Amino acid sequence: MSTSPIPLLEALEVRKSYGERVILAGVSLRIEAGERVALTGPSGSGKTTLLNLLGGVDRADSGRILFEGRETGSLGPDGLSALRRTAFGTVFQFFHLLPTLSAAENVELPLQLNGMATVDRARRVRELLERVGVSHRAEALPGEMSGGEMQRVAIARAVAHRPRLLLADEPTGNLDSRNGAVILELLREISDETRTALVLVTHSTEAAAICHREIRLRDGRVCGESSRPEKTP
Amino acid sequence: MIVGLQRLLWSRFTWRHARLAPVSSLLLVTILALGVAVYFSIRLANRAAVSSFQNFTEILTAESDGQISAPAGSLPERTLGELRTAFGTAPVHLVPVLESTAARPGKPDAGESIGQRETFQILGVDLIAVQNLPTARDTDRSWFAQTDPGTHPTASTEGFWERFRDPRAVFLPQALATRNGLVPGSMLPLVINESVVDLHVAGIIPADPSRPAPPDALLVMDLPALQVLTGRTGRVDRIEFVLPEGPDRAARWAVLRAELVRLGDGRWNVGSPSDRRDSAALMTQAFRLNLTVLSLLALLVGLYLVVQALDGAVIRRREEIAVLRALGVGTDAIRRAWLAEAAVLGLAGGAVGLLLGWAGAQAAVRVVGQTVNALYYATSARAAALEPGEALVALGIAVLSSVLAGWWPARLAASTPPAQLLGRGRAGTPTAPARWTIPVSIGLLLAGLLLCLAPPLRLEGGGRISLAAYVTALFWLLAAGLLAGQLPPVAATLLRPLGHFSVPFRIALSHLRRPTGRHRLAIAGLVCAVAMTAGMAILVGSFDTTMRGWIERTFMADLYVTSDGAQSASSQNRIRAEVWHSLVGDPEVLAANVVQVVDIRLPGGGTLLVGGNPAFMRDHARIAWREEPQDARLWDPESNEGLAIASESFSERFQLHRGDPVTIPTPTGPREVRLAGIFSDYGNERGSLVVQREHFERWFEDAQATSVIVKLRDGTRADALRAGWRREHPGLAVFTNPHLRAEALRIFRQTFAITHALELIGIGVSVAGLGLSLASLLWERRSDLTVLRALGLRRGELALAAALEGVLTAAVGLFAGLATSLALGWLLIHRVNFQTFGWTLESEVPALWLAALSALVLSLAAATGWVVGRWGSTLPAETEE
Repeated sequence: MSTSPIPLLEALEVRKSYGERVILAGVSLRIEAGERVALTGPSGSGKTTLLNLLGGVDRADSGRILFEGRETGSLGPDGLSALRRTAFGTVFQFFHLLPTLSAAENVELPLQLNGMATVDRARRVRELLERVGVSHRAEALPGEMSGGEMQRVAIARAVAHRPRLLLADEPTGNLDSRNGAVILELLREISDETRTALVLVTHSTEAAAICHREIRLRDGRVCGESSRPEKTP
Repeated sequence: MIVGLQRLLWSRFTWRHARLAPVSSLLLVTILALGVAVYFSIRLANRAAVSSFQNFTEILTAESDGQISAPAGSLPERTLGELRTAFGTAPVHLVPVLESTAARPGKPDAGESIGQRETFQILGVDLIAVQNLPTARDTDRSWFAQTDPGTHPTASTEGFWERFRDPRAVFLPQALATRNGLVPGSMLPLVINESVVDLHVAGIIPADPSRPAPPDALLVMDLPALQVLTGRTGRVDRIEFVLPEGPDRAARWAVLRAELVRLGDGRWNVGSPSDRRDSAALMTQAFRLNLTVLSLLALLVGLYLVVQALDGAVIRRREEIAVLRALGVGTDAIRRAWLAEAAVLGLAGGAVGLLLGWAGAQAAVRVVGQTVNALYYATSARAAALEPGEALVALGIAVLSSVLAGWWPARLAASTPPAQLLGRGRAGTPTAPARWTIPVSIGLLLAGLLLCLAPPLRLEGGGRISLAAYVTALFWLLAAGLLAGQLPPVAATLLRPLGHFSVPFRIALSHLRRPTGRHRLAIAGLVCAVAMTAGMAILVGSFDTTMRGWIERTFMADLYVTSDGAQSASSQNRIRAEVWHSLVGDPEVLAANVVQVVDIRLPGGGTLLVGGNPAFMRDHARIAWREEPQDARLWDPESNEGLAIASESFSERFQLHRGDPVTIPTPTGPREVRLAGIFSDYGNERGSLVVQREHFERWFEDAQATSVIVKLRDGTRADALRAGWRREHPGLAVFTNPHLRAEALRIFRQTFAITHALELIGIGVSVAGLGLSLASLLWERRSDLTVLRALGLRRGELALAAALEGVLTAAVGLFAGLATSLALGWLLIHRVNFQTFGWTLESEVPALWLAALSALVLSLAAATGWVVGRWGSTLPAETEE
């Protein structure tokens, strides 16, 4: 993975506390376009909080986060929304598909938010559902799908609008090993195909193995970092 | 053990949650309190309006043992002599009483208006006799020896004869004197009959600490003075009997009563002092019950809210319940904890509601009083007293209904599986309505249909209550609420194309397409409030249309003359014979209907007997006949003595029709008449029986008139004649045709003021319920909100989605509510109204009013949804580390 003068995402001395409890005590990292980075560490080390800060869902108490060289902390709520809408995609551990929307409608939502025409949306949704292998479940509601199917739909939704950065929080944490492996492979393939950067929060060594780099957190600080050759899970 | 566990659950969980969320706890208590307050205030106001109609002589004489009064009209004063002769030196005090009413004179340039001015009840008693009563002698009270120089500077025993002989001397309550700055010697101008009379304040009604204070509106005069002033010389309304104290007082009264019955031989009725109050209570029973039923609307809608709130709390605390279950707390303990919470909520809401209700009653008592004044009798109620019995009932209703409302959430809480904690199952998952919904709804609709065919419950005193029709309304409301829960998916499907154009629309529609139980509950609450409000609006609209038509047809004369003191339905102000003779003798007058009205009592209840002119009614008013007269003798005063016409209310109330005989009690003996026809009349619900005035005059030995209705010759200017008559008789109210029509409509509309206020409260409470529902739903869906934010939705868009969901939910409730209101409107017009009042109404759907109601509900729902949505968009994400 080659480095460029302006990284896709950069965090500089980011700190975050909830009341007296320090969650992040000055974390810095740098992620290049198309790079896959795993954030690992024990429970309570601040992985999910860091992911939320990187994704603009939460704000840091201090430090800076730059996306494509632009500081996200200076953006207002609407600016952050626009960034999440156009540049980011998110995959959650518990899938978090909207329960009242069908699989196709869930995938269509970010496209509609980005103003894509109805006909184009329908085509793109069809392509995506086929790509993740759940086109036969397009009209199913989340409650009618298995965990693996839901996570596939969640990935399709996360990449539907072609984000530059994909944030995934324990995407296999709620799946069995077989389904988990399939999902990791899917994430890797999509990342490669679209040159989408991926930040993956995980406890799993298998998940971390699909990434170019692993950043380890402990007690709110980066305690180690390693690069690794890509490996198929 | 059980108690200990319940205490633990209460102190560590329920109470802590209430403390941690003080705003929502307060909101819920407030909403419940509002429902209780509305009910309580109406009950207190009703009580005040009835209790103000008391036997005023109690205040002067202590409770008498009994009384006699004429079967109709008044008693001749000679009865007193007859009784004194009959009882000789028997130890009994006779207190003759004459009652009249008076009003403050209007401003000269203000024009006549009805029911707008302060009215008074004037009691004429033999003051010397009253002062000599043993109860009066035992105290230091005195009518003529008020020597307190600070309070009554001019009153002293020295002025006794001067004041006693003064035909204008009046005694008044301390409160009235203080309020108006009146002292003995002041002038109190009042309208009595057709004159404005300056009464002289002779003193303050002596107070007795052991009895209630005299009401503000009570004036006392010496009997002969009042007889002269009211033109009723030689007449008394009743004679009261006071026996000396003693252990066998009741037995002595029983003996005396038997003797009075024997002596009277039908010339008078023997009754107890509470008879008049009881009859006032009976007269207004239906009116008060209707108001009470309506006041329960806010409480009923409030109960939906309690269900929603407790249900929402179950959702919020589901994990906590699961932990408790996993720790071994049984389902019964969980259920009891939730029911206890509901009971405490009811208790808190009830207690606050009592305070609010008591305050509200002070405002409601005036509105209720205005209606009672306009339709039934003069009431002077200005304030409502706190009644412990009513308070206990209201509190009981609050707690009981709250516990009932908490039953379902309690069941839900108890059935939360321990696995919930591990599974992190989704809250607010869409659920299909229960299978029993449709069959039960249809069953309720059909049962209601059968019930509404039942006759009304007939009360003692002639009142009628449409109990079965009220149960029908309840059944239909429940059925509509259940069926409306089926509508959101239909609405969402119809509106689906809109989702392609807007993400907030798509999200809102998706929730409606698969609604939760909370959506259905909010919709049911709205259906209930909207249906009742719109149903009442249809009734009022139909009433309004019918009244306008009736006024248009019936009020066709040129001038209407009454005493300006006639400010209530029970006014005893009359126009003396010489005055009305001079009016109808005016060369400009083409024809006149001189009307005299008296309360009479028939077997089955009280009603009004009207002495009038049927031929005038035929010639100068287009009467709507329900049963048209076929006997031509009715129109001829020479041959119509045995005939009468009756209003529709009379016919319905006494179940009498054309051709049926009626025996009318009169001071000169019972009179037999046959009903010649039945006509529509919306003037009063007790019904009226009309006979030729000349016969009336002879039967009642009374030539005074209640009102004079005049048709003028062509070319006469009604305004000019009216001005002339007013100059000549300042105590007369002379209405031109347009003015009287406007007054009649104003009074009619005023009687519905409280109805509208109650309806608005019901709507407000139901929209608050919708807000509470949306808040619960958003709380349940906060993980979805996190997702939506992660997908890039702005706060405004999230709020818009919530507002749209609120509007769409409200629109479904509104649609179902309006549809139900058509059925309720029919029920209210053709069953409740007809059975209670005996009035046939033309159906009218007030489209503009309903459109305004719809706009109000949708706007409130949008605003509430937006506010809740803004709040929801800031809910914290469910983070893990």
